[in-house]
Amino acid sequence: MLECLSMEVNVLIGGPAGEGVGRTSHLLGKAIVEAGGFVFNYRDYPSLIRGGHNFNILKISDQPVSSHEWQVDLIVAFDQQTIDLHQKERKEKGIIIASSQFESSSLVGIDLAGILQKLEAKKVVGNNIFLGVIFKALSLSFESLRAVLKKEFKSSMVVLAAKAGYDLSVSPVAEFKFEKEKERFFLTGNEAIAAGALQGGLETYFAYPMTPATAVLGFLQKAQKETGVKAIQLENEIAVANAALGASFAGNVSMLGTSGGGLGLMAEALSLQGMSELPLVAYLSQRAGPSTGVPTYTSQGDLNFALNIGHGEFPRLVVAPGDVKEAYERTQEALYLAMKYRSLVILLGDKHLGENEYVADELKDLGLKSLPADRQGSQEDYSPYRITESGVSPFLPPGQGPISRATSYEHDEKGLTTEESEPTIKMNDKRFRKLKGIEKEVAGLNPVSYYGNGNGENLIVAWGSTKGAIIDALKDLPDWSFLQISWLSPFPCEAVLEKLKTARRVVLVENSATGQLANLISKEIQFKIKEKILKYDGRPFTVREIVKELKNG
Amino acid sequence: MDNLETTIAKTWCPGCPNFGVLAAVKQAISALEQEKVLERKDLVAVTGIGCHGKMYDHLNLNGFYSLHGRSLPTMLGIKIGNPKLKVIGFMGDGDAYAEGLAHLIHACRYNADLTAVIHNNQTFALTTGQETPTSDENEFRFNPLSIALEAGASFVARSYALDIPHLGDLLEQAVIHKGFSLLEVVQPCLVFQDNAEFFKEKITKVDQAKSREEALEITRSWNYSASPKDKVPTGLFYQAEKPSFEDQWKELKRKPLTQEQLKNWFS
Repeated sequence: MLECLSMEVNVLIGGPAGEGVGRTSHLLGKAIVEAGGFVFNYRDYPSLIRGGHNFNILKISDQPVSSHEWQVDLIVAFDQQTIDLHQKERKEKGIIIASSQFESSSLVGIDLAGILQKLEAKKVVGNNIFLGVIFKALSLSFESLRAVLKKEFKSSMVVLAAKAGYDLSVSPVAEFKFEKEKERFFLTGNEAIAAGALQGGLETYFAYPMTPATAVLGFLQKAQKETGVKAIQLENEIAVANAALGASFAGNVSMLGTSGGGLGLMAEALSLQGMSELPLVAYLSQRAGPSTGVPTYTSQGDLNFALNIGHGEFPRLVVAPGDVKEAYERTQEALYLAMKYRSLVILLGDKHLGENEYVADELKDLGLKSLPADRQGSQEDYSPYRITESGVSPFLPPGQGPISRATSYEHDEKGLTTEESEPTIKMNDKRFRKLKGIEKEVAGLNPVSYYGNGNGENLIVAWGSTKGAIIDALKDLPDWSFLQISWLSPFPCEAVLEKLKTARRVVLVENSATGQLANLISKEIQFKIKEKILKYDGRPFTVREIVKELKNG
Repeated sequence: MDNLETTIAKTWCPGCPNFGVLAAVKQAISALEQEKVLERKDLVAVTGIGCHGKMYDHLNLNGFYSLHGRSLPTMLGIKIGNPKLKVIGFMGDGDAYAEGLAHLIHACRYNADLTAVIHNNQTFALTTGQETPTSDENEFRFNPLSIALEAGASFVARSYALDIPHLGDLLEQAVIHKGFSLLEVVQPCLVFQDNAEFFKEKITKVDQAKSREEALEITRSWNYSASPKDKVPTGLFYQAEKPSFEDQWKELKRKPLTQEQLKNWFS
């Protein structure tokens, strides 16, 4: 019997900012999922509003995919610049589709103006003609594209335009035969985090706009009426962090979101979390730094920052999802642990996870109930900082009757200020005692995941969004396995050590210049990872890059 | 009034005007309780860091001892978190006019239903006497109450720490006002800025202005200098009705997420 090879096509859609490159790519992805196929939508854009050059690359397959490739089978160009910049990335048999006014040796020119004129349609509808052409080139039935466009647009002109494109004669770049087994979700990491937070009981979200975290604020603001969540933009990140703690004190399940620069401004308030023990989840979406850096591109350079942010000693929990399904679930875990243990949890993502679109089979309610604060504490002889064996002081927000306090100062059980030696020691010990319970909980939350068919002799170690390309690369690396570390603090020492000690060759894959996870592993379990595949140009890994490095190594 | 006391020993300098502010605050809270404007369980006192911040330890109330300069966003978060709570914030001139000035300007703009009491002793006292943005000896002073009016504050008032009935009365009005109330309390610092004699002589109670322009004339009439020709106006300078920030979310009710919603958003 012949081995059934999976079919995979990469489609690049490019053009100036503001002309619908992102929207068209999203619709294509959605229609592929509607048809039963799998797709990953990579979004690449510079920091500007109009003009410039934006592009998306969609990897389309009949098998699950979670990365893109730079070598593409089909280029859809909205302008000449897209052709000029990307025709070198076209595979040998690949084609370029664009309006016939543009020029290229391998161009399949489309009389966009003529079709629009015939339809009496506006120019903006033209992008849908391309969608029809792409669907035809992928040998897909028009029906799923029609369904998606009907759902997304009121105007029937959009469907007519797409059909006009579909009816053109284009030679196929792939012959996909998808079977739709089930309804799947197609969403970005930011959307998964926003929805996961809603699932986890989020009541109030604070943010100041900062790429690549901004979309969470936008999503939640749009969802306010429907869900009752409050999503609030304030004057700066310092206000955001302090207000988020204020809302937490008032009893809300509270969360904030930002990128590295914003989190830097919040450092003092996150340290206040450590002292006040008000539950807080901080979403940190990394971008390439230092400083303003490469603001619309990706990085994993803030791991150390997340693990150590804020002055003084207090537990900081850090969890890093690797894809949208995990983002949805880990956000629930973050809120749950923050509320239950009155802790700071940093939800560590990046541009790659946050702004690219993935397919998810399910978005699961983990059933972790992050108890609203007003149902935790007992009213009898209430002390907001009661010394307990677990280290957790049950909390009652103000308004319930007993006096409730939160403070940046060292304090006694009632929350009143002290500068004495003994209570200072006792409160420090109490704050760190919580870690025991947290460690136990984290051990039950699959803090590490293990993938691959290899016997574990050759092991890739990574965290966060690099999961996508690594999982896809495993198909070409039959002798390799992959250890993904999702909970980075508290560090799952035993689970990591168990896999590392039996491996012969261990390679770290990280979107950073220094390989920060290797340092963390070295510190936590005294295991040295010598081989590192690092990438710090703001671009995510692709399968080809990982496979090449490992096969050469 | 006495059950507003805590067990914490007061560490202000002997004779510090902050004792006067504390007395006026207790007077106002008791009066507001008697008038049934508020229930003590719903009252939250927020402080920044500085001499004023010790109010936190001396008021037997719900409290949040916040960071230097960050009382206002903390107060806003509390109000958004539970709009039923009455939030009174205490901050110093270092807090509100230096470290946290941006928050003050935006607080005026948002007009959330909060009361900010600014202890202005025109010096960084707890760090032993450095200049603040309204220090008399600072030639680069500004006028924060004029800025507040320009930024859209709906309640702007000034009182004097050693005139306890006046301060208590204004604080009551500030808490009753629906919207952001800014009450500056000028006060000498007996150690680093002892201008008690100046204030005693120069404080002049004025009537409420009819317009913002007139209120600006009042606030501009004293530029925080101790020059002999100055008068220091006190009283409620300006009050207006404006929508409150937190009312945007008044109608919202948190509902559990459904799989239907997820399908609608992402399928």
